[in-house]
Amino acid sequence: MSYYDVDAILTESQKVPCTFELNVPGLGYLTGDMGGDMRKGSEVELPLWLGEMLALSQSLNTSSLVSLGTPSALTPRVLNALKADPRTVDLRALAPHFYSLGARNLELYEDEEMIEVLSETFKTRATVIADQAHNPRGALGDGVDFMRGLDESERQLFRAAHDSAKAVRQWMADLKKK
Amino acid sequence: MALPLPPGLTPPEVAFLCEMELVTVIPRQRLEGLELLGGPSPPLNPPHRASLPLWLALLLKRQRRANILPPPWLTTLSLTALLDHETEHAESFSPPPRLPPAPSPTTLPFTPPFLQSSTAEAPPDALPYHWLELGEMLLEGASDDFEEPDVVRRLLRGLREVRMAKLRRGVEVLDAAGGLQMNGVGGMELSEGRAFIGGVIDGLRKINASREQARRDRDREERENGFGGTADDDYDDDEMDMR
Repeated sequence: MSYYDVDAILTESQKVPCTFELNVPGLGYLTGDMGGDMRKGSEVELPLWLGEMLALSQSLNTSSLVSLGTPSALTPRVLNALKADPRTVDLRALAPHFYSLGARNLELYEDEEMIEVLSETFKTRATVIADQAHNPRGALGDGVDFMRGLDESERQLFRAAHDSAKAVRQWMADLKKK
Repeated sequence: MALPLPPGLTPPEVAFLCEMELVTVIPRQRLEGLELLGGPSPPLNPPHRASLPLWLALLLKRQRRANILPPPWLTTLSLTALLDHETEHAESFSPPPRLPPAPSPTTLPFTPPFLQSSTAEAPPDALPYHWLELGEMLLEGASDDFEEPDVVRRLLRGLREVRMAKLRRGVEVLDAAGGLQMNGVGGMELSEGRAFIGGVIDGLRKINASREQARRDRDREERENGFGGTADDDYDDDEMDMR
């Protein structure tokens, strides 16, 4: 992951639920309480980079500032839906960088089951993506709903498969012209 | 991105490499041997056959100075048999042509274009590395040298479809630790599938990165704590290479 990787930056800006473990004076505007204090135990959606920093930083006392929750895109409900049929889930609506978010989350917590589910999902959807990319009618056939639900890395995959198929077709067409 | 081209070779580049393949021609005019960069070409004496690089053969064909003899695997009979084999064996590709024995143990094994896999003496029952490019180019430049060019063209299309579908389905068995059996896949097919397959493997590695990291940490810890003999270490190293 490079420093200037736009996708990495966008991944980090996705929101995760964070629960404050301390009272913070003057931060109440985050929850809509203007000028008030942030109460201990209140839950706020923070970008991943901020939440991670707050959760991992060990301040003067031993407890960390916030505790990270699971992002809404990776709740057990979503994982169960992915287990049932990966093809029907609209990943883009859950999180535009779904897999990167999952990978970042797995760096923080070990979760064997989530790795399994995500890998299986990625593979199953990749075959459908390949079929769509080679579809001569383009992506406007019956798979249009599926194509709308692709996350960012899947879109790149689709583009790669589509471009290489197009390059071969182009070469064959050029051959005929000569 | 600094380099606009994707990794690997583009189709025109693959086709360019394929033009070094030797094909058999039947000359219609005399031609002295030419001193080419890739070595001297044989003198052409009608009606004796000669092996020429594909680009030269196509040039002579266009000037009506030679006819090209399609390789034996590029006939209706062979292609039909190959297509049957491909559809029957859903798991693997049809095997590549057998390599000739190396002349001596010290020489390196031959690869295309030094393997004569597309001349008239080539084996009729196997698709060489450049099968798709060569077939397309011959059908385009020398279609009147085929007995049934349209049937051959249709069979080539069929083969291509079957094999590309297999290549795409292959990613299902991929794993962060697994491999994909790609014996017998041709150059143009590789250039077409590289971006997609590479992308899938990259994505899987990203998802499995944390597991890989945990595994590495555990391995290092075990080694530092002195657990596991030398045999165990070898085993771990092997596994890590695959990942």
